[in-house]
Amino acid sequence: MARKISLFIPCFVDQLQPQVAVDTVKVLRRIGCEVDFPADQTCCGQPAFNTGFWDEARPCAERFLRVFKDAEVIVCPSGSCTTMVRVFYPELIASGPAHDEAVALGKRTFELSEFLVKVMGLTDVGAAFPHTVTYHASCHGLRELKLRNEPLQLLRGVKGLKLVDMLRSEECCGFGGTFATKFESISVAMGESKCDSVAVTGAEYVTAIDPSCLMHVQGILGRRKDRARAIHLASILASEA
Amino acid sequence: MSTTVPTPNTTPAGETPSALTAAQKFLRDAATKSADLVHREIIRKNMDSYDAAHNRGRARIKDWEAARRKCQEIKREAINNLDKYLLQFEQKVLARGGHVFWAATGDEACAYIKDLAVSRGVKTVVKSKSMVTEEMHLAPVLEAAGMRVWETDLGEFIVQLRNEAPYHIVTPAMHLDRNQIRDLFREKLGEDIPDADPQKLVALARRKLREAFFAAEMGISGANFLVADAGAVAISTNEGNGRLSTSLPRIHVAVTGIEKVIPRLEDLGTLWPVLATSGTGQPITTYSTLVGGPKRADEADGPEEFHVVLLDNGRSGLLANAEEREVLHCIRCGACLNICPVYRNIGGHTYNTTYPGPIGSVLTPHLRGSEFQHLSYASSLCGACTSVCPVNINLHHHLLHNRRDFTKAGGAKTSGERRQFKLWRTAMLHPRLYELGGWMMRRSLRLLYGMGLAGTALDPMRDWSRKRTPVPLPSQSFRARWRKELSKNDQGRTAGGNK
Amino acid sequence: MATSNPSRETILARIRDGLRTPAPPIEDKTFYGPIFEAVENPLERFQQECKANLMECQLTADSVASAQALAGVLQSLPLGEVFVQDDPVLRRLMSAVGSQRQIRWSSEGGPREQSQATITLADALIAQTGSIFVSASGGGRGASVVAPTHIVYAFAKQLVPDLVTALRNATADGRLDKNSYACVISGSSRTADIEKILVQGAHGPMRLVVIVETGT
Repeated sequence: MARKISLFIPCFVDQLQPQVAVDTVKVLRRIGCEVDFPADQTCCGQPAFNTGFWDEARPCAERFLRVFKDAEVIVCPSGSCTTMVRVFYPELIASGPAHDEAVALGKRTFELSEFLVKVMGLTDVGAAFPHTVTYHASCHGLRELKLRNEPLQLLRGVKGLKLVDMLRSEECCGFGGTFATKFESISVAMGESKCDSVAVTGAEYVTAIDPSCLMHVQGILGRRKDRARAIHLASILASEA
Repeated sequence: MSTTVPTPNTTPAGETPSALTAAQKFLRDAATKSADLVHREIIRKNMDSYDAAHNRGRARIKDWEAARRKCQEIKREAINNLDKYLLQFEQKVLARGGHVFWAATGDEACAYIKDLAVSRGVKTVVKSKSMVTEEMHLAPVLEAAGMRVWETDLGEFIVQLRNEAPYHIVTPAMHLDRNQIRDLFREKLGEDIPDADPQKLVALARRKLREAFFAAEMGISGANFLVADAGAVAISTNEGNGRLSTSLPRIHVAVTGIEKVIPRLEDLGTLWPVLATSGTGQPITTYSTLVGGPKRADEADGPEEFHVVLLDNGRSGLLANAEEREVLHCIRCGACLNICPVYRNIGGHTYNTTYPGPIGSVLTPHLRGSEFQHLSYASSLCGACTSVCPVNINLHHHLLHNRRDFTKAGGAKTSGERRQFKLWRTAMLHPRLYELGGWMMRRSLRLLYGMGLAGTALDPMRDWSRKRTPVPLPSQSFRARWRKELSKNDQGRTAGGNK
Repeated sequence: MATSNPSRETILARIRDGLRTPAPPIEDKTFYGPIFEAVENPLERFQQECKANLMECQLTADSVASAQALAGVLQSLPLGEVFVQDDPVLRRLMSAVGSQRQIRWSSEGGPREQSQATITLADALIAQTGSIFVSASGGGRGASVVAPTHIVYAFAKQLVPDLVTALRNATADGRLDKNSYACVISGSSRTADIEKILVQGAHGPMRLVVIVETGT
């Protein structure tokens, strides 16, 4: 019986990087899942939460619980937004029945690579991408969701893909939400360090599980006219021969 | 030679320093330092060297997570029984003829030490490394009373000669290379080492400081730990300056925060290796010293007087905040500074605080007030700090808590942003409003960028577009595409391969 | 000098008040095993760690060999006074060595700046970290740090496997009640404050020599 997946698409992916979501749908359907997109969703509340406005973030979280109340399994192509739901919703909604709902919801919300490898037991999803690729370990996925190997296993399962290791792959790219604009100079300096690490590998592509990281890295790669391009893991996995 | 809070960047012409808030100064200094590629390279080399040593050090420990957990438990027990263990410590020190002075503020602590020094006719003071004495600004107080104060930790000695604050809590002169140090010694010590050989530079510093060690009437040290059941101050050093400062002068003053307490001597069996591993990658520091009192009658040498100054200076306030209490578990190893990508780019001086890096950003708003709250925001919340903290402090989550508490406290600084987020929240609670808002934003930015105005004053996203290619602006959102083409499950595709 | 300290009561009151709210529990419920690898062969481990610490460790079979070893070390040093802990064991040892050097005994006071070396016993040797445990009774505080060379005369039976054991022993025999100072020393003095390059012999000794008599 086909798995029923409810898509959780971060607001900035919906508005600025829709291809990531389109590719997520493609991959999930290719492996035989039934995919639904609850159109009532908006934002998980992370921007307000990270800035300290928890009272403004909480209604978004409570709304999210309502929108996804009947979802069996939720998949999200973003480590940071999955973290918001699984790690921070229980803290944001600290007590009462909604707190328990949040805990339960977190247990059935998965980042994409996490879902493919840990839930579906797959590392080969039928993708082909004959290019050199290097991997940036986005911070939330790595440290909050503890996803170290899963994205790499999936990349190794892609036909024709040559994976090259990056030095300091676990060092933050510098996006950090509003940090990227509030502390522009630091954010850009961190991004430049990351792009330096990418350049050393000579890879054609740098990939990650967080579209926000990739938007920031691409912004700097583009400004520097570097050879590499940023691409989301979902887009690699959606590629076919 | 005084150690003062630094103003390392020159003030732009026409601008008086006092006109800038701490936050504005931080942004300005951060921008300067972030763009300094020479600085970036020096720090990168230093940190790569630390990373290698640190990883080697961790490999020596059978179970690093077990070590972190044990250290967390030791400090948790100590802090949550702080009064009991401080009293036990005090009682033992007093029984041996030592003195214990409790100081509510840095000023009180400075006054006690100054009065002590003056009353004992102290002319020369040797100091071994103590961040708490930086926090109190002790050296200027003693110098104003006519005493000569020598920093004896080599890194501290170097920054003292430069009239600068320490750059890093463990390696104070990390930002300098050997040639700069050679030039400094030539200028301030009157001796030149043409080839700038580190061995010879160290030998020169040793020669100069030797005179101070033997002449000084008072030695001031910090404390890494206060051992309650032994009534002893534990001091971890490598150079031997901490040993000389606490052995040769006739008065030894140990200055410490009240939170340095640990319950038992044997707890050091775990804390010493963990501190050394996290701080420098060593299995243990060369000298792990324990001092419990003045010299006894049957001992060959040692100070005749022993004073411990316990400093509160806001720590008891942090203690009362149960959610933040674990911040007091910090053993000042410096690991979070070393791993922090923000620290690596802006360096220690930009923070303009005694304690920089992640622990400094968490701690300083509590110890010095909301003027430093910008430090809680100057982080991408990557969590690397938390991942290396040897006592398992959830540092980046505490930054989030600081942000939450800061906005809750309200005031003019946050009211503008709060209004923005209230608008944002309204949009997020109404999908059609959200969709409309998103579409309008993309539409208007595409228009603006089409006219070549990306990154200009008219661009609302200019803090992005100035130094990065503009954010992508697709003509259709995902939800629009979903509605149009994607909502039906296409069952024609076969499932992918297995693991 | 004023002895009143009103802040003491204020601070204690604030601490007690603050601790009325309990801290949140530790969330991680993992059970953790031993932290350090058990030390299998203490003497071997001690020698390995000494080497890594840039210490010199010489094993000797008996007091005759120990005297010879010490004589050898002294010969390698520039001429001048040596400072020796005043203890019957070291009196015998120095007598056996028969050195021409001027000896300053710890009963006369601390070591002088002109000392070429200090010679002391130890309270214990620690295999885990290649450390010597010394205290004030071992010739005082300066004895292990003033001179450019520090020579320790120790016995294999003083060896304990690890730091925790050494510290427990120190607690049990009230070492810090009988001594105003103690120190666990794991190498010669060094610094890496210049470009993170390790330089030996900062303010303390450049050489630390441990003569370990295995004997019966």
